[in-house]
Amino acid sequence: MTVPIHYFLVLAAALFATGAVGFLVRRNLLILLMSIELMLNGVNLTLVAFNRLYPANHAGQLLAFFVIAIAAAEAAVGLAIVLAFFRLRGSVRSDEATALKH
Amino acid sequence: MKDALLALAPILVVAFGGLGLMMTEAFGTRKKGGPASDLALGSFIVFMAGAVVSASLWAAGPEQLPGASSTAPWLIVDRFTLFFDTVLCLGAGLSALMAGGYLPEHRLDRGEFFPLLVFSTVGAMILAASGDLLSLFIGLETMSIGVYAMVGFRRGSLRSTEAAVKYFLLGSFAAALLLYGGALIYGITGKTDFASIGAAIKNGLGGRQADFGMLLVAMVLVLAGLAFKVSSVPFHMWTPDAYEGAPTPATSYMAVAVKSAAFAMMLRVLLGVFGDSASMSWGTGWPPVLAALALLTMTVSNLIAGRQESVKRMLAYSSIAHAGYVLVGVVAVIKPGSDAQASVLFYLLSYTVSTAGAFAALILCGSRGREAVSFEDLAGLGKRHPVAAFALSFFLLSLAGMPPTAGFFGKFYIARAGIGAGLNVLTVLLLLNSVIAAYYYLRVMVFMYMREPAPGAPSAIPMRSGYVTAAIVLSAVLVVLLGVWPSTSLKVAIDSALTFR
Repeated sequence: MTVPIHYFLVLAAALFATGAVGFLVRRNLLILLMSIELMLNGVNLTLVAFNRLYPANHAGQLLAFFVIAIAAAEAAVGLAIVLAFFRLRGSVRSDEATALKH
Repeated sequence: MKDALLALAPILVVAFGGLGLMMTEAFGTRKKGGPASDLALGSFIVFMAGAVVSASLWAAGPEQLPGASSTAPWLIVDRFTLFFDTVLCLGAGLSALMAGGYLPEHRLDRGEFFPLLVFSTVGAMILAASGDLLSLFIGLETMSIGVYAMVGFRRGSLRSTEAAVKYFLLGSFAAALLLYGGALIYGITGKTDFASIGAAIKNGLGGRQADFGMLLVAMVLVLAGLAFKVSSVPFHMWTPDAYEGAPTPATSYMAVAVKSAAFAMMLRVLLGVFGDSASMSWGTGWPPVLAALALLTMTVSNLIAGRQESVKRMLAYSSIAHAGYVLVGVVAVIKPGSDAQASVLFYLLSYTVSTAGAFAALILCGSRGREAVSFEDLAGLGKRHPVAAFALSFFLLSLAGMPPTAGFFGKFYIARAGIGAGLNVLTVLLLLNSVIAAYYYLRVMVFMYMREPAPGAPSAIPMRSGYVTAAIVLSAVLVVLLGVWPSTSLKVAIDSALTFR
């Protein structure tokens, strides 16, 4: 018995939506970073699940590997930026990023 | 293999030049002073080499290159790509020159700025050439990650770091939206390259009804991601903050090269993936969405720009407004023919030289501790330092679209393409918006030439730098050339247009 592909897609959409909602409502920069990772993992799961429909090639899995690698690079830069912000501001809350207002 | 190397020469020249610069910075012995001045010259040479190679391949004709087809669909080497390679190298080269003067002046003299700039440009060139979801994502992130670091380059400054935080978070969010849209498209069609996806959508997806719903969701996600990257209202919230907080050479790079690459990506996606007649119709496709975005982008940003106190922030809003004008040209692409695409390409070229020049002139107007930030800082500059004031006025006039500068013909061709595609309302609004925009450009000149600084108030004192002056002279020459002699560049832009349908 195999699990139908819809199960994976719904789970992936739920992951993506959780990440997107978390990104929009939370105020902690580290949680925002995690939300972005969650969204990218939702994308990865979608890609890998869809690849089952097209067994002739592995384009979906290939793309997922690249997403994982690039997400790691992005997280490295993101954490460095959050760290620099914490050093200067003493806080990791996005609503305290108020130096730039007109 | 050898043929493919020749076809990829523009990207390879810049990438290997960047590696060389990085090695020089890391292992080179240094005389007194910081590394910025040497590296700025090196980066400028690398970018000019990239521009010359792209331009020569353009002139020779990419169809002559036997290897050009072997890199497709991941990297498409056509005239469109080579045109953007030249524009991107030009914009990045001007930013490198600015950085050569700006970084030492403001005690930011660290060498890593230049490798970041070069590798980010490599990403932008990959993005402009991408014909596959994979290379699109790699190019987009290579470009963006470099820019995030450049925005936060002034590590000790809260404003710079805060700008980097905002840009990073919203940029990554937008990339995730774009990617999820791409994943859904892959699920519907089973392909990742734009040409096959476009063909599958055109053939009606085998008539499966559920897939059309999913395609609509995917299109919305992709459009939202693209709108973020070109900083279109209502996805523009990050732009003023990121542009204001970043070091000015990085701001110029974002306004010029990142925006051009984003528009190249937008054209490739819209015409390659959503280029069928149903997706390009007013009833069932993207044109009404994009037209609404263009309308909002032009109007909202111009109204806010007029109320700014900081000149740099005003230029940030002005760059959003210019994205709105370009979007009018992008909507006009729905009419068959290459006029609309050519107007977008020409506009991006003229906008690149005008904006880079304006930021270079703004850098020249200030020095350490006496920066030109607000309008008040510029009061009386025309009398005290006529050369710097004249340079800034000249580029602002080009941005406002005064003849005989490059900006005038950019707007003229966009308006002509808009009328040609039957977008009369949008075109009239574009012209009205240009009039509103003239207000805040002229306001800078009023402060420079007709106001006296308040007694005891801080005022900007121009810096001295051969690099910044060189950037200004180079942009000024190009602005004048494009303004008095636009026909050649327009013909180049027409030949560079993508073929579709």
